[in-house]
Amino acid sequence: KKQTRPGSKADYPSLKIGNSKTLKPNQPLTFNFPDRQSPCVLVKTGSEAIDGIGSQKDIVAFSSLCTHMGCPVTYSKGRLICKCHYSMFDVNRNGQTFQGLASQWIPQIVLREDPASGDIFAEGVQGLIYGRIGNLKVS
Amino acid sequence: MALFKRKDELPIPPGDAEKYTTVCQYCSAGCGYNVYVWPEDKNGSATANAFGVDLSKQGKLMSGFSYTETMHNVITRKNGKQYNLAVIPAKESRINKGDYSIRGGTNALTAYNPDGYTKKRLKDPLIRRENGFVPISWDDAVEIIATLTKSSIDKYGADSIAMKFYDHGSSGLGFEDNWAAGKFFLSGVKTSYLSIHNRPAYNSETWGTRERGMHELNYDVDDARLADTVVLWGANAYESATILYTEHIMPNLQGGSVADKKKAFDPGEPAAEGHIVIIDPRKNATVAVSQDIAADRVLHIRPNLGTDWILANAIARIIWENRWYDQEFLDKRTDMKTFGEYKQKSLQSGKPLATLLADAERITGVPKTQMQQAAEWMAKPKEGGFKRRTLTLFEKGIIWNMKNYDQVAAIAQLNVLGHNVGRVGTGCGRLGGHQEGYVRPPAPTPGSIHAGGPPKNVDKYITGGGGKIYWVGATDPYLSTPNSQFFRKSVKKRADALLDYLDNGGVPTEVKAYADKVLEAFEKTGGLFMIVQDMYMTHTAADAMMILPAAGWGEAVDTSINCHSRLLRIYDKFMDAPGEALPDWQILARIGNRIKALYETDGNKQMAERFGGMEWKSDAEVFEAGSKEFGDNKVAETEEAKLSPECYVGVTHDMLRKLGNEGIQTPVRRDPATGRLSGTKRRYTHSFASKDGLFKWYGTDPWTGYPAEVAKYQHNATYPFWFTTGRSQHVWQTMYHDRKIPEKYFTLPLPYVEIHPEDAGKLGMKSGDMVDVFNEEGSSTALVYVNDSTKPGLIFGIMYHAKGSMNHLISSYTDPKTTIPWYKGTKVGIRKYTGKPDEAIKTASLLANNDVSL
Repeated sequence: KKQTRPGSKADYPSLKIGNSKTLKPNQPLTFNFPDRQSPCVLVKTGSEAIDGIGSQKDIVAFSSLCTHMGCPVTYSKGRLICKCHYSMFDVNRNGQTFQGLASQWIPQIVLREDPASGDIFAEGVQGLIYGRIGNLKVS
Repeated sequence: MALFKRKDELPIPPGDAEKYTTVCQYCSAGCGYNVYVWPEDKNGSATANAFGVDLSKQGKLMSGFSYTETMHNVITRKNGKQYNLAVIPAKESRINKGDYSIRGGTNALTAYNPDGYTKKRLKDPLIRRENGFVPISWDDAVEIIATLTKSSIDKYGADSIAMKFYDHGSSGLGFEDNWAAGKFFLSGVKTSYLSIHNRPAYNSETWGTRERGMHELNYDVDDARLADTVVLWGANAYESATILYTEHIMPNLQGGSVADKKKAFDPGEPAAEGHIVIIDPRKNATVAVSQDIAADRVLHIRPNLGTDWILANAIARIIWENRWYDQEFLDKRTDMKTFGEYKQKSLQSGKPLATLLADAERITGVPKTQMQQAAEWMAKPKEGGFKRRTLTLFEKGIIWNMKNYDQVAAIAQLNVLGHNVGRVGTGCGRLGGHQEGYVRPPAPTPGSIHAGGPPKNVDKYITGGGGKIYWVGATDPYLSTPNSQFFRKSVKKRADALLDYLDNGGVPTEVKAYADKVLEAFEKTGGLFMIVQDMYMTHTAADAMMILPAAGWGEAVDTSINCHSRLLRIYDKFMDAPGEALPDWQILARIGNRIKALYETDGNKQMAERFGGMEWKSDAEVFEAGSKEFGDNKVAETEEAKLSPECYVGVTHDMLRKLGNEGIQTPVRRDPATGRLSGTKRRYTHSFASKDGLFKWYGTDPWTGYPAEVAKYQHNATYPFWFTTGRSQHVWQTMYHDRKIPEKYFTLPLPYVEIHPEDAGKLGMKSGDMVDVFNEEGSSTALVYVNDSTKPGLIFGIMYHAKGSMNHLISSYTDPKTTIPWYKGTKVGIRKYTGKPDEAIKTASLLANNDVSL
């Protein structure tokens, strides 16, 4: 199934990445989206997040490539942190850079929960994934 | 919904896109950038593009090439056509090597775009009438200001004009604008009521080192990687000169520069991972990041506010006692006739070491073990007897400390005692705030109280009723000056008095009638005619009588130097300024030329001549005219200390365009042997900048407590907290751009304070609360972040923010030797805000910005 997000010309795939019934707070899951070269992280943060889904609106997902220079970020204490230059992104606040060098907030993955099964689907990306001219333009 | 509209793809510049080189408009680091401009309908492809990068593949980490959402914008040129704009960190720049900060990474977003974030620029000259500001033509604006300036000089003298103008590079357009402002105010008007953008007088922030014969920009960026020890003193490098930290200091701490050290050091000299000493009352992000990298090689010292020079002298005394200095260097390169005074007053050689250290510990609150450790890391010779190499960088924590002159002098002397200047891996000077680009005729006050000063305090002059015209250029003193609540109230009262008089029967619209009525108001009221020159409407401009729209970065050719290498480069023009906006040099030239013509009509040759020399046709001509001020630069390398630190005689715009991101380091010499222009990598290797080339020692004052303006709070229970201020990683100066950019204002929506968890517990406060901070000077409302950056008993506030200033709380005290304020120290009370909290706090991250642990 292809999704076209408002304001985006890109057609994102729909990918099942987890289930809200089995997700445990602060135990992140990794996945790749929209393709194998783009690592992402799904986390239940335990507090209401901007664009969070689930009954507590606390399930969010982000690209895990730092937008500054593409290093991997790690989830801890409610934020994604990059140890290359110490940029830190608040996962409850739309991935905003609250400290560090990254001028672009880390891309937040658009999620949908199937109410019956609790399955979580990744269906879009808000913001540009590091190292790409377009999120769906990598060969 | 995302907090603001995001992009998920970007346009690609074609191979034939216009390409320019520039330098970031923000901090002292001066990162190199490349600019690409191309018609909106002519994009390149992933494999054929102006970047020369294959964009069809996933980019590799740390590749040195970044093109993010914040590096693109759309601009409209005077021809009405739209163009894509990309502003990309330059991989080939040795300053940043493709790296960039959260400030520089948003350079493109600041470009004027009629549909973009920064669309609300000033586009026309404005005049204030009964109901607010209305646009007028440049011709009328020039005529009014020229007439009023001339009449005011003729009737009340040159001192009836007071000014406050930027004197720097980067965001202030460097040598070109500074030469024009110098010609206009210092040669033409000749007022003695001059002041610089961030302070109430016309002074150096570092006369304490300059009057020793050592200018503060004396090192190269390489020295931060080559030093055995880096000392950051009141200088939050990670957050305010970010790329100097991440590209040069951090690799040194990580051990990434050991191989370079081996190459650069003397044969057999030990080379190892660097040490860092951070002297700062806060455990800020610089401390947290450094400790995360190498906790055992970080020494964090937290002195009581205002006491740093006592600490510097105590460390120097330990170095002296241990003979960790080079007597031959002291004898040959420093003025030993002046050393006696230093030894007696600063080193206090008459006092036993134990007594001195006990006194210093009591005053500064720093344990003497830390003083000993600092002395060892700064000056104890390495194995084999090799001199240690220490680079010491100080900034506003020292400059805007109590006793500016003695603080700066003490740190300079501590470093020269260990011969930590003029050698590879050493240096002692400013971290810097903005970049530089100063060239002006001589100022009326050449130095501190020891050298013809101190300069006059313009704030006190204006608030005390002095002056008729107050001219403010690209600064917002309602936020940025000390005691700003009182300043604002006083200026507003005088501005309103003038407008009330003009409005008596309607503000005249005809130019001559208007000028005549203003002159009448000068006679009949205590009114003040304020002129503001800026890119945006500012807090101060709201009370101006006239506002002149100025061009910004990228809209005019600018040349400036960075602080960490004195690297002169061109910041090229790549777009048109909005509406009628002009570069500051052009605004001042138009008014100066008109005043000259008015004096010629009067037959007053002498005054006409004072306003001469501003008939420039281009920016390149202004640049060249300024260079004459430096005199002859034909000197040998060993004589470089004789040159002004920013000397660029012989350099042209065209030459800088060819040099691009490479640039040339000032002072630029014309080598007598080759006849070629040559830059200077590192200063004072051979001699110092005094008449006889010797470093001049100075005996600092003893500790005598706090000035009356702050001492009055010391034993008053209403004001239990010490209060200091500083900057944040995200935003630049008054946030004139950043207040419009969502990546910045969502994260820092309000002025804020940091409170230690222990104090927050006692006060019943938590992150996200709002508070009033107050004392007898004024009050400020702020958002609370609870974190362990401050110490119990100390509150930190962002110095100013688009939505409010903490300078309301700061007294009008200035160092009697230099007229530099103590912006960073006072005492306050604090209480929970009783109003409705701002909605904005819902979008702001409240996480601790000084915790980088997993």
